[in-house]
Amino acid sequence: MGKEWPKPSPKLLEKTHHLMHDGFHQRAFPDTRYDLPEALGDARWTDELIASTWYMAETGKCPEHLNYKTGKSGGGFDKLAFKELAPEQQLSADAEVDITLALNRRGDERVKRTIDVPWYGGGMSYGSVSVNVMMSRALNAKKWNTLMSTGEGGYPPQLYECAENVITQVATGYFGVEEKSIQAAPIIEFKYAQGAKPGLGGHLLATKAGEEVAKMRGSVPFVSLFSPFPFHSTYSVEDHMKHLDWIKTVNPTAMMSVKVSTPHDVDMVAVGSYYAGAHIVHLDGSFGGTGAAPEIAKKNIAMPIELAIPKVHKFMQDEGIRDNVTLIASGGVRTADDIAKAIALGADGCVLGTSDLVAMGCTRCSNCEGGPSGRGCPWGLTTTDAELQEWVQQAWGADRLDKYYTALADRLKEILRGLGLSSVGDLRGRTDLLRYMAGGEA
Amino acid sequence: MLAKEADRKSASTDDESVTIQLPLAEQARLNRERADQYHRYHIEATETEDRQKYPRRFNVKVGKVGLARLLFKEFFKYFGHWDVVFSRPCTYGVFSGPVGGFSPRPDLCVGCLRCEIQHPEFVKVTHNPELASLGDSYMTSKHIATIDEEARKGSVPVRGQGFRGRFGGPGFDQMFTDMSEIVRPSRDGIHGRELIGTSVDLGSKPMRLEFTADGKLLDGPKMMTIQVPFVYTAPPDSVGTGIVPEILAEAAAQVDTLVFLPESTVTAQGLASPNVVPMIAPSKIGNIESHGNGTRMVEMTYWNPDAWKQVKEHPLLVSVRLPFSGDWKSTMMEMVDQGVSIIHLVSDYHGESDDGRFVMDLYQEAHFSLVEKGCRDEVTLLGTGGIAGADHLPKAIITGMDAVGLDLPLLIAMQARLNGDTKSRGAAEVKLPSKLDKEWGVQRILNLSCSWRDQLLEILGAMGVREVRRLRGETGRAMWCGHLEQEAFGDIEGFPGGGH
Repeated sequence: MGKEWPKPSPKLLEKTHHLMHDGFHQRAFPDTRYDLPEALGDARWTDELIASTWYMAETGKCPEHLNYKTGKSGGGFDKLAFKELAPEQQLSADAEVDITLALNRRGDERVKRTIDVPWYGGGMSYGSVSVNVMMSRALNAKKWNTLMSTGEGGYPPQLYECAENVITQVATGYFGVEEKSIQAAPIIEFKYAQGAKPGLGGHLLATKAGEEVAKMRGSVPFVSLFSPFPFHSTYSVEDHMKHLDWIKTVNPTAMMSVKVSTPHDVDMVAVGSYYAGAHIVHLDGSFGGTGAAPEIAKKNIAMPIELAIPKVHKFMQDEGIRDNVTLIASGGVRTADDIAKAIALGADGCVLGTSDLVAMGCTRCSNCEGGPSGRGCPWGLTTTDAELQEWVQQAWGADRLDKYYTALADRLKEILRGLGLSSVGDLRGRTDLLRYMAGGEA
Repeated sequence: MLAKEADRKSASTDDESVTIQLPLAEQARLNRERADQYHRYHIEATETEDRQKYPRRFNVKVGKVGLARLLFKEFFKYFGHWDVVFSRPCTYGVFSGPVGGFSPRPDLCVGCLRCEIQHPEFVKVTHNPELASLGDSYMTSKHIATIDEEARKGSVPVRGQGFRGRFGGPGFDQMFTDMSEIVRPSRDGIHGRELIGTSVDLGSKPMRLEFTADGKLLDGPKMMTIQVPFVYTAPPDSVGTGIVPEILAEAAAQVDTLVFLPESTVTAQGLASPNVVPMIAPSKIGNIESHGNGTRMVEMTYWNPDAWKQVKEHPLLVSVRLPFSGDWKSTMMEMVDQGVSIIHLVSDYHGESDDGRFVMDLYQEAHFSLVEKGCRDEVTLLGTGGIAGADHLPKAIITGMDAVGLDLPLLIAMQARLNGDTKSRGAAEVKLPSKLDKEWGVQRILNLSCSWRDQLLEILGAMGVREVRRLRGETGRAMWCGHLEQEAFGDIEGFPGGGH
C-alpha cells in the first residue's frame, strides 16, 4: 500500500486543469507550433488518431489536418474502406439520416428502448476508473439518450441520477451487485468474458483496490481482486437461461444483454444466448481495452472483432433469428469509420470504451493497472487516487464526450450520405459497400 | 457439543472396513498433517534485480531556460501556495530529484507524456534508440524487454490498455488461440484452486501392456516425465563453457526439466545429473556408458543408423537431433521406423528451416505425418528454435510439439546482449553481464520459467484445457488469422482471392 495522497487544493486544481486542457488544445490544433509528441501512439491508436480524438472532443468536428479514420494496424478496420457513390448519387449534405438504434427486437413485454446513436459506453468499473469518469460518461449518455455500463465494480450512488442511461453489469465476481442497482437499470449486462482477457475474468490490482473501492465491492482493501472465470453457476445454455431468468425476476422490465468474447464458436455462443433470452448479444473482440490484463491474453486469445461480426451475423441469419436480436460489437472500435464498418460487416451497433477515455485525455501509456507509482493514471482517468482523480471533473469530461459524440455522429451521417443511405439500419451487413485495400491501409 | 463429538469414538457399524477408530479431533489433525505434506508443483520465483543497466524506454529532455522561466513565473503567481509551486507533472518521479526538472530521471519515465503535453515549449519525451537497437527483425526489442521483466519479477506481465500492435503478423502472430465462455478449469486452475497439469512425458508411451505367461509385465515403459513442457537447450559456442552451463544445469534441476549440453562440457565441468542431457556425436556414442550420476537421457547430435543400433536397447533414453534441413521428413520417418522414440527437431534461431519455412508449418507437418502413420504416441517430438515469447510456447505445442526447447530467451534472461547474426545457431556473439554469478543466474532462469509456465496456465485456463499434454497437436484450438480473414472478408471487393 502506497502513500495516501491528499485531495488537491483549489489552486493546484486550477493550475493542473489549465495546463492539461491547454496541452490537449496545443496538440490537437494545426495552428499551434508544436508537433505531435514523438512517443505518442501505436499501430492501433496512431498519434493522429489520438490527437484527432482530442480535436473532436474540443470542437465537435472532425479535423481536416489529421487522419481521424484509420490506424496503422495493417488489418481489419484499417484495411477496409467504403465505396462511396459518385457525388451526384450521394444524399445531399442536409438530407435527414436516421442513426437511431432500437435495442429490443424480441417483441416481448420488456422495455422498448431506442437510443439516438448506434453506440453506447462500455463497462468500466468503479475502481478501474473514478466516479468522476463514470459520471462524465453517464451525464453524456443521458444527454445523448444512449447508455453506459457500470462494469464490474458496483454502482456508485451518484449514478442513480442517470439511472435510465446506466447499464448494470453482472460479472463473474459479482462485485457490488445489488438488488437495488439491478432494479434501477433499463438493461442488465451479463459479462461472461472480456475481449482483452478472454477466459480469464477481471483484474483489479491491490494498489487500486482502496478503501472506497473495496467497500463498494464488498472486499478487503488493498487486496488484488481476480474475478473467477467462468460464472460458476453457468456451464451450459440451460444454466445461462436460468441466470437470465433470475435477473428477469429481480427486474421485470429490463432488457438482457450478454457480453461474450470471440472464440472459435462465437456464432453458436451468440445463438445460444439469444435462445436463453438475451435481447442484446454483445461481442467483445480481442483488441479491446482493459484496466489490467495479462499481456499474453491481449491479441493471442480469441479473435479480433472484425472477424467475429460477419461470422455471427451470417449464422444468425441462417438460424432465422437475426432480426430478433441486437448485435453489438466492441473491442477495438476507435472511430466513426470503425463503427460504420462494424455495422457494414453485420453488427447493429457498437460499444465504445477506450475512445471515450482518449477523448478525456488518455495517451494510451498502458499504466492503467497502477503503473510503477501504484496510483494509476496520471491523467486522472483510470485511478481512484484522491489527488489524481480530480484532474477529470465531471462537467468537463461530459462536455468533452458530448463534443466527441457530436463529431462521431456527424461523420457517421456523412458516411451514410456518401453511400446513399438514409438510415444506419440499411447499412447492416452491406459488405458490398466495402472495399478491401489489399495494397495498403484504407 | 462439537468437543463432545470429537472426543467420542465413532460407533462401529456392521462394516468394520469403514469404521473410524480415531477421535474426530485426532483424525482432523492427521488429515491436516497429510494435507500439509502435499506440495503442488510450483517454481520458486523471487524478484531478482538486473545486474547491468537495461536501456530505458524513453529519453526526457528538459530545456533549462524554459523550466527556469516557468518556475520563476509560478513562484510569483502562486506565492504562498507551496503545494502548487512545488507540484510536478510527473507521478513517477522523473522530476523529483534534488534539482527537479533541471536533472530529470528518465529511467523512471513510463511514457505517459503528461509533462510534454503540459509543457510542450521545453519538455520532449522520445523513444530511446538504444533500446530499439536491441535484438533483430525476429527477436525484437519488445521481446527482449518482456523477457527481462519476466526474469526480473518472475510474474505474468500485467498492463492496462488493449493490444497496441499489428493486426495479425508473420510467424507465431498468425495464430490466435481459442477460449471457452463456460468450460472449467479455467481461472480456478490458474490460481491454484484446481489443477492444470503442465508435465509432459518424454519417450515412447506403450500402446498396450504385455505380460509373460506367469503374469509379469514384459516390458516396462521407457519414458520419463518433466514438470514443464519446455527444456533448456545448449547455449552458443561462445558461452558454451564456464558458468552458463552450470546455471542452466542447476535451474533445470530446480524446475525439474532438462538441459541439453555438449558431452565435453558435461564431462569437463562435472555436470552429469538426472536433469542434464549430454549431447553425444554418433562417432562417440559409445561414451553413453560413461555418464553416470543419475543421467536419464542422452542426445545423439545427428542421425546415424549405425550409431543408433548401438544404443537402441540401452536403458537410458536417447533422443536424436534432427535439423530442419534438406529432406528432414524422410529422415524423421526413417528414424521412427528404426525405433527412435524422442526426436528433437531444430530450426534456426528465427524458427526457420534451411528453405525459409516457419516452424509452425514444419511442426504440423511432422506431427501429422506421425498421426497418419499411426504412431504419434510412440514418439516424442521436441521442437527448438524461434521461441521468443511466452505465447510462442502454447502455439508450438498446438502445432504438434510435445515440448519446446528454449535457447536465446535463457541468455536474454541473464541479460546477455546478442551481437551479429542471431539467425544462425552458434553464430551469435553473446556478451553476458560482468557480474554474472551462479545464484543470480539460476534465479533469473527460474523466474523466466515460472512466468512462462504461469502464462501457459492462462492460455490453458482460457481454453478450459486441464493438462498441457492434451494441447499437443490440438489445431482445433487454433484460429488462423488468414483463414478467419478469408471467412470474414472473402466476399468483399479487393480481398485477395475473392470478392465481387
